[in-house]
Formats: sequence, structure tokens, C-alpha cells
Amino acid sequence: MSFRAAQSKNKRKTFILLFVMFLFVVAVIWAVGQLFGYGSVWLVPIAVVIALIGVWGSYWNSDKLVLKMTRAQIIDHDTAPQLFNVVDEVRIAAGLPMPTVAIVDDPAPNAFATGRDPDHAVIAFTTGILNAMDREQLQGVTAHEMAHVGNRDTLVMAVAATTAGLIAIIADVGVRMAFFTRRDNSNPIATVIGLVILLLAPIAAVMMRSAVSRKRESLADATAVQFTRNPAGLRRALETLAADSTVVHERSTAVSHVWIESPLEGKSRSLFDTHPPISERIAILRAMEQSGPPTT
Amino acid sequence: MVVLVIVIVLVALLAVIALWQFNKLRTLNVNVDEGFAQIEVQLTRRSELIPNLVETVKGYAKHEKSVLEAVTNARANIEQADGVGATALADATLTGALNNLMVVAENYPDLKASTNFLQLQEELTTTENKIAFARQYYNESVRALNTAIVTFPSMLFVGMAGVSKQEFYEVPDVSQRVAPDVGFN
Repeated sequence: MSFRAAQSKNKRKTFILLFVMFLFVVAVIWAVGQLFGYGSVWLVPIAVVIALIGVWGSYWNSDKLVLKMTRAQIIDHDTAPQLFNVVDEVRIAAGLPMPTVAIVDDPAPNAFATGRDPDHAVIAFTTGILNAMDREQLQGVTAHEMAHVGNRDTLVMAVAATTAGLIAIIADVGVRMAFFTRRDNSNPIATVIGLVILLLAPIAAVMMRSAVSRKRESLADATAVQFTRNPAGLRRALETLAADSTVVHERSTAVSHVWIESPLEGKSRSLFDTHPPISERIAILRAMEQSGPPTT
Repeated sequence: MVVLVIVIVLVALLAVIALWQFNKLRTLNVNVDEGFAQIEVQLTRRSELIPNLVETVKGYAKHEKSVLEAVTNARANIEQADGVGATALADATLTGALNNLMVVAENYPDLKASTNFLQLQEELTTTENKIAFARQYYNESVRALNTAIVTFPSMLFVGMAGVSKQEFYEVPDVSQRVAPDVGFN
């Protein structure tokens, strides 16, 4: 499969997943309406506002927040010439502005990108990844992070998080109300279905959000190949990461989705994973190497 | 009355499409210009690195006159080159000459170990990569523009936007496509 085919496949899947999440929102609103009458729908705008406040502040200031949380040090050409050069190369390939480059003092090899748009992008590397990778691997990792910037993944994940949050709030309030409200419902089947939806939707929404994250990771791998035209660099980088067992100290779920390799997940595969299995990512990149360099 | 409304709506719709396509074509054209400007920035940067590189190599390898002269001459040629085709040819020649210089440098362990040379090597590597990536970005921009010029509906607005097909930046000789082997260290 070429990187272009992989790109369009993952973009399509992101769209479908976000659409399904939107249907979940409709389903929980329907469930609340069924259980408590449509007079209770006043709940929805309040839930929207709460979900927005929870996510968009951290989205808008994601560059500053993550730098602070990971205690990353911003670097320039004089302090880390090779790293700065590699980032500059990749951003030329991507046709994007030069991002802020930072180093996180952490022996675990990892890297992340964040920022609300390409003009506020930050790409950070742990000291561990800088020690573990050669120039070509580092270029692959940088291209993956630059792909997140170009694909606006901070925004995509903020949208997914807002939707999942909205579903959680509506379902949570709905379930609580179900305990304290007594209401003569003429349709017991609808009541049962409504309750089941309210109980299951939040978990399903988190699964969907994780699925969106996995698609954005696969998309970033494919877009990285579009930038460098060298699948081997990123593939070898992922192999090095797979062989390493140290995990990032900052084991916070708040930033876990931004790392190139998940700092939280174990070996077993689950529907809550934010990243596709690293072996699968390596296999896809290897297939791109074998399909040869594209003519474009 | 109904006919009038329909006509107004159609005209408005047409105006929106025209505006959108006009902007699309102009944006694509700007991308091409910016892409070429980026190539030139990086070519200039490489040219600026060369005198320092030549001096450093001279210090350790005085006898490699022909290789050093080839680099100096190729550098002079690229500064005179005008237009996409000529620039691409001069660029390829300079890349080939630098490639030879780096091969020669391999024979001088003291040179290879000097901090100054290592720094220059890193800067040369990155600049060669930047030239290659800028070229790739430029060619993708040219492809996007040239495609828009011959496809519907943007093809209808080419005259209005005043854009025309642009030339690809092609490296003339396949044997010179390889960047100087300065390593990934």
C-alpha cells in the first residue's frame, strides 16, 4: 500500500468515527428525552458548555501547557544543531512554518507534537530518543510529529475529546436523574433501551475516541513517508522504540495521546489503546518500502 | 418574478465559484513561487558554506587541487544560473563536485576528526537534505498548479487568475542524483 492510499484510508476512517460519535450524542439525547420527557433537554446546552470549557482551554494553550507539564527545554540551532537542522529539513518538506523545538530530560525514548495550529506548534524529544537514534531515524520521528502538526491532530483530538466528554456528562446526569425521578412511562421498552444507552454510551465514546487516536497515528506514519519519502527511517525508529522497555516518567493520561509511542499501554491489545500496535505500524512501513519509491 | 430570482441565484452562485477558483489558482501559484524561493534560499546557504569548507579541507589536503577547484567553479556557476532549468543543472553539478570532495576527505583522518570539519559536514548534510525536500515540495506545488490548470472547473478561470503552467525542477543527470555521502552520524 502506498502512503497516499494509507492517508486517504485513515482520513476516511477518522471521519466515519467522528460521525458515529455524533450519532452517540443523538442517542443519549434521545434516551434522556425518553426517560424524562423532552422538557429535560435543557440539560444538553449546559453539557455542551461544560464539555467545551473542559477541553478547549487546554486545546488553545496546548503548546504552553504541555511544555510546562513535561518540563521541556526549548532549544535553538546553537544549543542542539543537529536536532534543530533535522526539524528544519522536515518542515521544509512539509511546507510548514518552523515549530518550537524542545528537549524533555527523560531517559525513555519518546517524542511528541502539540499546539493549536502550525503557527503554535511544538515538537519535543526526550533525551532518551536523542541518544537512541541516528540521524535518519530522528528524521523519521520528526516527520511523524510534523505530520501530526500538518494534519491538525491536536484539533481533531480536541473535537473527539469534547464529544466523548459531552456524552459522558449527559449520560452521567441522566443516570443520576433516573435514580431520583419517578415518572410514569407508558413505554417500558423505551425506558430500558434508554437506560442501557445511558450506561453504555460513555464507555463506547471513550473507545471511539481511542480509535480516532489510533487512526491519526497511522495517518501520521503515512504522512511522514509523504514528507521524507523514506519509510525505512521511521520504521527503524519504531523498531528501536519497540525494543526499548523504559517508559516515560510523565505517565499522565492527559498527554499520553501525543507521544509517538504510548507511554501507558502494556503488551496486550485493547479497544482503549491510543496507538496501533507498534509491530503493525512497522509492518505497514515495511510494505511501503517494498512497494518502492512513488513516482511523485 | 420567479425567473428573476432564479437568475439572481445562478449569477450569485457563479460568482462564488469564480471567486473560489480564482483564489485557489492564485494560492497554488504562490505556493510554487514560495517553493522555488525556498530552493534558492537553501542553494545560497550551501554556497555560503563552501568557502569555509574549501579552506578547511585545504588545511589538511593541499594536494587535492582539482577536486577543490571543481567545487569552487561549480559554486561560481550556480550563482550565475537563471531560471528553473539552468539552476537545476548547476545545482546537480555542484552536488556532484561536493560528493567528490567528501570522498577525498575520507582519506584524511585528521581532517575527518576536526571539530570544524564535523560541524561543516552536519551543515552540509542538512543543507543537501533541505535542497532535496525543497525541490520535492516545489515539484508537488507545480504538479498541483499544473493539474488545476487543465482540470474542470478551475481550467475555466485560468485566464482570469493570470496563471500559467510552471516548470518542474528536475535533476538533469541520474548519476548525480545522489547527495554527497556525508553520512548520518
